Amino acid sequence: MSFRTKLLLIVLLIIFASVTVVAYGVTHYTREAFEEMDAQRTEALVAQFNKEFAQRGEEIARQVENIANAEVTLRMAIDLGRPNADQSLYVRDANGAAQDHGLDFVEFVNSDGTLISSAQYPARVGYKNDWLTSTADWNTSSAFLSREELPTEVALSLTVVRTQPNVPKPFYIVGGRRLDRKFLESLVLPAGMRTLIYSNLEPAFVPTALISAKGDVEQPERFAPLVEQIQKQPHPLVRTLDWSSDPADAEAFHAIPLMGRNNELLGIFLVGSSRKELVLLTNKIVKIALAVGAGALFVGLLMAFWISARITKPVEELAEGAREVAAGRWETHIDVRGSDEIGQLAEAFNHMTQTLAAQKERLVQTERVAAWRELARRLAHELRNPLFPMQITVENLQKARKLEAKQFLEVFNESTATLKTELANLNTIVTRFSDFSKMPAPQFARVNVNESLRNAVRLFEPQFNEVGKPTITPELFLADALPEIDADPDLLHRAFQNLILNALDAMPAGGTLTLRTSEHDGDLRMEVSDTGKGLTPEECSRLFTPYYTTKLQGTGLGLAIVQSVVSDHHGTISVTSSEERGTTFRMDLPQRQPGVVIVAKDAAPEPKSTPPTLAAASD
Amino acid sequence: MKRIGFRLHALISGLLLLALAVQSATSPRRGGTLRVELRAAPVSLDPREWMAGTMEAATDEKLAALIFDRLLVLDNYGRFQPQLATEWTHDATFKRWQFVLRAGVKFSDGSVLTAADVVAAFQPLFPNGQQITASGSSVAIQSAVAMPDLLEELASGRFFVYRVQADGTLLGTGPFFVSESRENSKSADKSDSAPSEASNTPPARSEGKPAHLRFRANEETWSGRPFLDAIDVTLGVPPLRQLFDLQLGKADLVEVSPDLVRRAMQDNLRVWSSAPVVLYGLRFDEVLPAAVGARLREAVSLSLDRQTMANVLLQKQAEPAAALLPQWLSGYAFLFTMETNIARAREIRAALPVNGAGGREPLRLRVDAAGDLPKLLGERVAINARQAAIPVQVVSRTALHNPSSTASSTDAAVGLHLFAWHYSTLSSRLELESFASALHLGDSGEGVVSSTDPEQLYTREKRLLDERHVLPLVALPEYVGLGQNVRDWMPARWGEWHLADVWLDLPEPAQAQAGNSNAAGSPANPPATALPGAKP
Repeated sequence: MSFRTKLLLIVLLIIFASVTVVAYGVTHYTREAFEEMDAQRTEALVAQFNKEFAQRGEEIARQVENIANAEVTLRMAIDLGRPNADQSLYVRDANGAAQDHGLDFVEFVNSDGTLISSAQYPARVGYKNDWLTSTADWNTSSAFLSREELPTEVALSLTVVRTQPNVPKPFYIVGGRRLDRKFLESLVLPAGMRTLIYSNLEPAFVPTALISAKGDVEQPERFAPLVEQIQKQPHPLVRTLDWSSDPADAEAFHAIPLMGRNNELLGIFLVGSSRKELVLLTNKIVKIALAVGAGALFVGLLMAFWISARITKPVEELAEGAREVAAGRWETHIDVRGSDEIGQLAEAFNHMTQTLAAQKERLVQTERVAAWRELARRLAHELRNPLFPMQITVENLQKARKLEAKQFLEVFNESTATLKTELANLNTIVTRFSDFSKMPAPQFARVNVNESLRNAVRLFEPQFNEVGKPTITPELFLADALPEIDADPDLLHRAFQNLILNALDAMPAGGTLTLRTSEHDGDLRMEVSDTGKGLTPEECSRLFTPYYTTKLQGTGLGLAIVQSVVSDHHGTISVTSSEERGTTFRMDLPQRQPGVVIVAKDAAPEPKSTPPTLAAASD
Repeated sequence: MKRIGFRLHALISGLLLLALAVQSATSPRRGGTLRVELRAAPVSLDPREWMAGTMEAATDEKLAALIFDRLLVLDNYGRFQPQLATEWTHDATFKRWQFVLRAGVKFSDGSVLTAADVVAAFQPLFPNGQQITASGSSVAIQSAVAMPDLLEELASGRFFVYRVQADGTLLGTGPFFVSESRENSKSADKSDSAPSEASNTPPARSEGKPAHLRFRANEETWSGRPFLDAIDVTLGVPPLRQLFDLQLGKADLVEVSPDLVRRAMQDNLRVWSSAPVVLYGLRFDEVLPAAVGARLREAVSLSLDRQTMANVLLQKQAEPAAALLPQWLSGYAFLFTMETNIARAREIRAALPVNGAGGREPLRLRVDAAGDLPKLLGERVAINARQAAIPVQVVSRTALHNPSSTASSTDAAVGLHLFAWHYSTLSSRLELESFASALHLGDSGEGVVSSTDPEQLYTREKRLLDERHVLPLVALPEYVGLGQNVRDWMPARWGEWHLADVWLDLPEPAQAQAGNSNAAGSPANPPATALPGAKP
């Protein structure tokens, strides 16, 4: 993955993360704020309920007191206080009192608890209400929640009890209002909220006991777990009911137990708050966040592309420059933009290339001078060998002019022969130098390396067991199924010859010549090892310099030719040596040559069977 | 002497003037429209459609008496008075009766009444054993069994004489005929049906629901034109509204619900009450095995507190009922006693199986009778039964809709019915059999008596009560509220109205224009001619 792509992704990731964090934060805090607002609204509604409850109680108490203090009630109480009073006279009075005072429930009860008149359940007249007579003073009591039995049902009532104050025996007036949908209708509800009342008049959950301001409640059985939990533990509770798979239809219910006079659970007040607003708001925020995120990502993508391009272009130019330098174009120059770190880096790069080019130039010049010196030394050495006999011969000839003719002729013949010989030597020397300068360009073909090595070794077989000379043992460790490589078979053969010849020269006392092939990092590796006395590090470093040799009769061109062949095949050659243990030359050649297309797989041409002494240049 | 003579003259003159003034104030006057409000709606004036014992039939009968006549009637002194029959005879065994029809009686369309009309009207009402035949101007009724109470039968109930016209409408010979029948105002335009002046037939109960009926005086009736010009009947008026209308002078005659009687009296309204004519009681369905059912019925019977029902809940406007027939009808009702024993009822209940109706399952009590009063009684029965550990659930009439208050169909879901029975005949034998038949009490053939012997009737009734399939609760009279200007209101004590005798004490025409709706000049009312003197 390129630096630009990475940079692009990082920028996009940062933008995406930022948008996500912001959206989540907004959603989270919105939800919290909404729920806090919802809780406040619920608390307000519960407070309103309690206030309404208290106000209703006070109002009922006032109405019941009005009934108790009415003259009609007084007359009734006095009359019923007499023995054998006719109760039937008053059997319908409670109904009238209830209508006159706007109460749902009114009952007149005699001092012994006998029901005289009942507005809500007239048929109960004559039966006793013992719970009334058990309390001494009802006039100071406040309204309480009670269970009111009706002909066909049981209702929840907010009840007040008072007694007629002017008669010696207590005459009870029980008044109340039903806690029903009318009560719920009187509560002012914010949008999205509703209130329900469950009349807990049966041990088990009764769906019809749950009412709302609009009447019956849909799917009342869904409230059963909530009600049953409060029936077990009458404490306020909050539950969320999902009415469908759509979260917007969910509703949070705050359930508040309503206790009776004896602390019994008589009802449950439920405040429902729709989650629709919250869900819609959250969805809206998420949608906005997604839109903003998408826009930001798009803009960010463009900007990141522009920024990364701006940032990476000098880097890419630097990388290209480095590649140019690696390819040998030392004069590579990069445009310097700005004075930031990248600009400084480009400037440093330019300075480096200039320095490297100058150093290379100096090195080349130095090496050139050294090579010329070495060449001059070698030439002087090579030329001095035949020149000195020729000088002696010429001087002998000059001295022989004074000899007699016969003797002169003998000397003359001998001298001319010597001169011819030495001139031939001079000619040979010149030819060798000429040959090195005429190294041909490689002609690539598919070459089996193992076969080429075997051919090279085969040429030297007579020398391995030459009579009168120490024995040299060749050992070949050639890897099987090596791929063929693109190479010039003649040059490769010549390189192998030189390496083998070099190894033979390194073992004057005999030894083992080891040849090894293998595959290494996609390249083919060829190793030629001897068991000679080895080379010093200094010798190793100069080994491939032309005309450098450690041998008395060497020209210093053998290994230079090998290096030239390896270089022409885009390979590498290295040498490792340790004293008294031998030297190993390691040659790595690529399987395929760049830009070379070999159309038909022709058999590799046999290298020309040139004598090793001629083809190989002794160092 | 002169002075004494002058004084005597003055005294005599004063007495004469006073007598004239009194006579003027109490003499019946012709004219005016009597405004009647009834709770029942709709009504049917076709006797063939009535169901004996129902409250609706009682109202229908009251209105039918305005347009139809009977062969004879029973007066308040227990004497049979001739109407369409002038004389009647029977053989020694009471198996054959002969009635001589009054001559010259005409229907409201002017056609003459014949014996064949009587036969045609009565034939559907007689059981198979009885035959009615026409012979000249007389009618003969004969049967294989004795008919000692045939006169009581003919003097009450459905035995009106009418003629069925070709279009199915009925013609009567009574003092009034139906001049207008109107439905509720919402549909008045399209449903106004004004029968011809000669037609006596209002729409049948099943055909329409008239909310108003107007009866016009029959000028040609054999009994003489009634005092009233017309009777305007408004149907379907709630009891309290009727009372208000009476107080406000918007109505002259209304029904008063028993629970409003005390209030009406406190308001100084005129309230008339009949003898107890309506019986409220309980009827058991056979939802339990016979032995268990009998014990349960006994427990329920012992739990009933009839005294409180009559004296407290109904404010002493009713009588606790221990018998099926009232004392005034049977003469032996006092022999039946009622017992309330909660402890004993509990014991019986405890000995019964726990499961089933009246045990874990509540016994369902359906209030078949309409109105708040039966509902109140039903609730009281439930409370009484609950005292004896018998759960009873009151089911409203609308919840299990059955229009017949004496529904005989046994609803499997209902174990108990609270019914209302309105006595419809003056024959205790017929009433008892009709009651037993309508409520499916006992075997239809077993114990049926044809004799009017009170001892046999008592035995029959006692047997029915001992089975406790039916438990009488209370008997109520009918209460009628009357306007202050209604005169000669002389109904029968068993509730039969005699509106042909009623007249309105209307103010003088000059004063009447001030605001009495009954005053002359009203387009619906012909000018009232206040003629002194008796009914012609």
